[in-house]
Amino acid sequence: MFTIRRRNFVIGSSAFLALGIGQNGLAQPAPSMTPHEMELYNAAKEEGGELTWYTAHSDDITAQALGRSFESTYPGVKVNVLRTTAQVAYQRVTQEIKASAVQCDVFSSTDIGHSVELKAKGALEKYIPENASKVLDIYKGYDPDGYYFVTSAGLIGIGYNTAKVKAADAPKNWTDLLDPKWNNNIALGHPGFSGYVGTWALTLRNQYGWQFFEKLAKNNPRVGRSINDTVTMLNAGESAIAGCGPVGTLLESVQKGNPLAIVYPTDGSVLILAPSSIMKGSKHPNAARLFMEFLMSKEASQIWVDHFNESIRPEISPPKGARSAKDLKTIRPTVAEITKGIPEVIKQWRETFGV
Amino acid sequence: MSRLKLGGLSKRYGDFLAVDGIDLELQSGEFVSLLGPSGCGKTTTLRMIAGFVDPTLGTIEMDGQVLSSPAGSIPPDRRQMSMIFQSYAIWPNMTVHQNVAFGLELRRIANVEVKRRVGEMLEVVHMNHLADRYPAELSGGQQQRVALARAIVIRPSVLLLDEPLSNLDATLREEMRFEIRRLHDEFHVTTVYVTHDQAEAMVTSDRIAVMNHGRIEQVDNPRALYNKPATRFVAGFIGRTNFIEGTSDGHEISFDGFALPRSAFERDVPSQGKAVFSVRPHSMRLSDVPPTARDGFTSIGVIVLERAFLGEHWDYVVKPHQGALTLKVTTSPLDDFPIGATAWLEFEPRQMASIA
Amino acid sequence: MTDKSLDDRTLHFSGVASRLRRLDASMLLWLALIALLAFLVLNPILRLIISSLQETDTGRFTFANYRVAYGNVRHLQALTNSLELGIGVALLATCFAVPIAWAISRTDMPGKAFVRLMVFAAFVTPPYLGAIGWILLAGPNSGWLNKVWMALTGAGHGIFNIYSMTGLILVVAVTSFPYTFVFTSSALDLVSSEMEDAANILGARTLRTTLRITLPLVTPAIIGGIIISFLEAIALFGAPALIALPARFNVVSTQLWQFFEYPVRVEEAAAYAMPLLAITVLMFWLQRSLLGRKGYTSVTGKGGERRMIALGRWRWAMLGYALFVCALSVFLPMLVLLQAAFAKAWGRGFSIDNLTFHNFYYLLVEQTQAKQTILNTFVYSAVTAFAAISLSLAIAYVVSRKLVPWSNVLAFLCVAPFVIPGIVLAIGFYAAYAPPPLALYGTATILILGFTTRFLPIAYTSSAAGLRSINPEMEEAVRILGGSRLLAIRKVLIPLLKKSLAGAWILVFIPATRELSSAIFLVGPHTRVISVMLFDLSEEGNFEVLSALGVILLIATVAIAGIGYRVIGRDFMLRRN
Repeated sequence: MFTIRRRNFVIGSSAFLALGIGQNGLAQPAPSMTPHEMELYNAAKEEGGELTWYTAHSDDITAQALGRSFESTYPGVKVNVLRTTAQVAYQRVTQEIKASAVQCDVFSSTDIGHSVELKAKGALEKYIPENASKVLDIYKGYDPDGYYFVTSAGLIGIGYNTAKVKAADAPKNWTDLLDPKWNNNIALGHPGFSGYVGTWALTLRNQYGWQFFEKLAKNNPRVGRSINDTVTMLNAGESAIAGCGPVGTLLESVQKGNPLAIVYPTDGSVLILAPSSIMKGSKHPNAARLFMEFLMSKEASQIWVDHFNESIRPEISPPKGARSAKDLKTIRPTVAEITKGIPEVIKQWRETFGV
Repeated sequence: MSRLKLGGLSKRYGDFLAVDGIDLELQSGEFVSLLGPSGCGKTTTLRMIAGFVDPTLGTIEMDGQVLSSPAGSIPPDRRQMSMIFQSYAIWPNMTVHQNVAFGLELRRIANVEVKRRVGEMLEVVHMNHLADRYPAELSGGQQQRVALARAIVIRPSVLLLDEPLSNLDATLREEMRFEIRRLHDEFHVTTVYVTHDQAEAMVTSDRIAVMNHGRIEQVDNPRALYNKPATRFVAGFIGRTNFIEGTSDGHEISFDGFALPRSAFERDVPSQGKAVFSVRPHSMRLSDVPPTARDGFTSIGVIVLERAFLGEHWDYVVKPHQGALTLKVTTSPLDDFPIGATAWLEFEPRQMASIA
Repeated sequence: MTDKSLDDRTLHFSGVASRLRRLDASMLLWLALIALLAFLVLNPILRLIISSLQETDTGRFTFANYRVAYGNVRHLQALTNSLELGIGVALLATCFAVPIAWAISRTDMPGKAFVRLMVFAAFVTPPYLGAIGWILLAGPNSGWLNKVWMALTGAGHGIFNIYSMTGLILVVAVTSFPYTFVFTSSALDLVSSEMEDAANILGARTLRTTLRITLPLVTPAIIGGIIISFLEAIALFGAPALIALPARFNVVSTQLWQFFEYPVRVEEAAAYAMPLLAITVLMFWLQRSLLGRKGYTSVTGKGGERRMIALGRWRWAMLGYALFVCALSVFLPMLVLLQAAFAKAWGRGFSIDNLTFHNFYYLLVEQTQAKQTILNTFVYSAVTAFAAISLSLAIAYVVSRKLVPWSNVLAFLCVAPFVIPGIVLAIGFYAAYAPPPLALYGTATILILGFTTRFLPIAYTSSAAGLRSINPEMEEAVRILGGSRLLAIRKVLIPLLKKSLAGAWILVFIPATRELSSAIFLVGPHTRVISVMLFDLSEEGNFEVLSALGVILLIATVAIAGIGYRVIGRDFMLRRN
């Protein structure tokens, strides 16, 4: 029955096509653009057809892919993708605000504390995307006032190099990282650069107290900048363990053929909620709104999944071999904790690790 | 045994033969100049003696020991020689004292002794009061003295000088010529001195080797070189001269416009054929009346063609009444003959040098 | 009496009139230049000093910034680390550069042209790119050198650890030794062989002569090189960020970066930067007092011939040493960078299935900013070079012809930016011009202005040197025939200086293309340059794409320099024949 209905549909739409009645509709680039999208799209083209996006949500390649996808969905609107770590992005945006020369249109940091701060300073533009109600429940409702929305999520677990470490010996939980046998073999990022690392450090501080890091420091970890540095260290064989391993990047590396494996710690993987917002004073407000819609669309989630990241839409399933955040034990700090806690953690980190 | 001996020394650069078979012997304490125009090979010869250049042929020996030969040479730092360079090559980052002390310190002489000898040497060259100055603070003549002091203080077996005075002005040059000779006399250093300036060579040297195109044309003491030049080149290079050609038939030599008996000449003159003579401008005398006949002197009538007054003397160009020959004559500043005047030219055939 | 006073007044009046007459168009031009210099150099420095004494947001006078900046032990530690880095680099670079300069300038070592080319390649390589190369070579567990060692000896871990102060010193020294090399070899080219002969004949052999005579004669050049290496090292940002951070120590430049994290604390950054300025001034004072009364040039004019010393078998040893240094600075890092640029995953090593063009494809096609960034870099550098040369030539002219009183102050201002580390200069520029009223934040203008100021000293020194070689009588000949001064400059001076200016242009262009420390604070989203992009790429560990971009940078720079070399027709690295 279902099949017949489909066949009918196909016949019907072919007839439709043949008659050329739907010509106008077919000429439209996005087959399923809502009227609201259409409105934003036209306005975006009129205001200059351009958008600048500061993002720390992913690596450069994924960010570029998102940019290209947007451009092909909405031809005539160009996206300038600027990928940096969260703190660097935040630094740039605050410099712009201070200089009264805001260049960024959409700001995507992995530190939700940034959004809270910017909202408090009145630096954000309020806009509630249509798609905001369509994402997974765990990603909804972080700012009821509508200044920032979660547009991407990530998991942090523990990664290890299978060529150097046997599955049986690998750490099973965060506390296993303190084992002296991992001396000189753990790679970490730096909360002073990476929002992911900052949130991870804060989460573990909540869980185990700061003594955890004092003991971790004794294991002489290799401190990089971005959280992705840890995967680089693993790939290179420089370190055997990624102490804060970004699951998405790890999965991607595995798929490329690198000898890596993921551990979802028993006390819980750290869930990162990464928000996006529109900057007040943005020169391309309509393009910015359109982009916010896009970030929360199925297309965007598909791209995330294609690059081994979390999907925020229920329609898109997680990548092969990965487990979705909604199916795992996750731990994370509250928004209020993040806002206050991350600057504290950065300071403590510097004291403990020396940089 | 001679101090320094050059035997058949030659140096070839590709197709160019810079030095062509030099033979020279220096006795201990002798001062010999290598005199010649640029490109005659004198500096190359000097550098071979120093050991900076290896000979293509021939040998250099000192006290009977071979220093240089085509087979191999002892490097400059082991020859116990010293050299003054055209640019003095005083090291500008060291004081006068440090410059002079350098060679002594290399010989591991005790500090006290070094200070003493440097002090003595600086005293000799009258530079003691400037011992702590840097070369940039010295005049050209003073730098020259430092170079000399530095070279002599180590008591070299041979002292080599490469046109050391060419950077100085005329007065300073005269002064330093005497200085160099004085130092040589005081320390009895065997010296080889390269220059293109014949006055320098004449003042300083015991003997002069006149070089041209890589060969030595004549080696002699300054007076003999001046009075009895062996070749045309030597005659023309040392001082000014007149060249006159004559034909000999055994009894007398016929020149252009006059003739002289062969017996009047001191040295061997060709009995047949061409005879060339060098006659020095001040070996002749001009007078307005016929000179009284004297033994060994001849006179001919001449007309004054040109003249120039140079303060210390008159330069005349005169022509005998017969023939096309012109002669340069130098007289005292008091002998004033106007152009076109007739006069008598008196000269001594014995002073006419026969040129090969 | 009336007559006399009338005479006096007439004289006085004509004096004023003649002075007014001299205030012609060219004088106004000169004044404009001086104003420009004040804008570029004086204002940022003053803003910096003032900022350091100001309270954030209120502008009140305070010493608090200094207390914050220096009250923290870690901040002080960063300062001593920088000093250690600077001294280490200065010494190592000297050890690299001086023997090679001596070998090339004064001996018969073979392969001179090749070694020169390699030194040039080292000069073109940015320090942070060299750092990446060395990370790939000497990362303690994964570096190629360590892997080779482990394979050869069966050891459990490698022996080289690039993440250390020693590693950082090495990385910086191998890219900064070309400066010392150029100074030393130019100076050595001028030493007459007679200086060495004099020592020789007094009994000194080659080594002793070199150590006691030849090298001491070029002490000013060597000291100049030491100072420049030191200053470069303490001002660098990229290489320390890549190596010091994982090694868990900070230097002043990375510490300054932290002051720019949110909230931006320009005032504290300024206070923290002051010692760098003080150190640089101290260095120059030290240089002058060290050199003192001694002369270093040969005092007489003649006898300047330079002959090559025959080294015999030792020339192979010298070549070996030169090639060793070249390996450290060029061969090894380039090799790994090339491997990574063409690799799918650099860690997988040299294998056919690891080869790909994708990294280049990604940069030149897929990545939207890369093309713009590459274009930006070369355009900005070219504009900077033109601006710096024009300005410095004009100022050098004013100074050498003494057109205004106190012209030496101008010369000083032109060279003063040298004293300021790039990162500090950028902060000064940022403080002075980024916010309103000028609001130059994120524009190409502020970047070019910053670069121009940063490279003004090099441009000025070259221009001044070029001008010195031209006899003023050339212009006087034009003027006495009725031409104006500007005409004389246009028709006589500039054509005569063409080659020298072209050389100076390249000497500014190349460092500008690789400049990171000042760029990192002044770029905006649309004005990114390659150095900053490389830095950002290094943050996500994408060494493959990063290496590809680095390769593009190097090839383009070498190509442009090569073209320049053809145009100039002589080695611009100050070599004399």
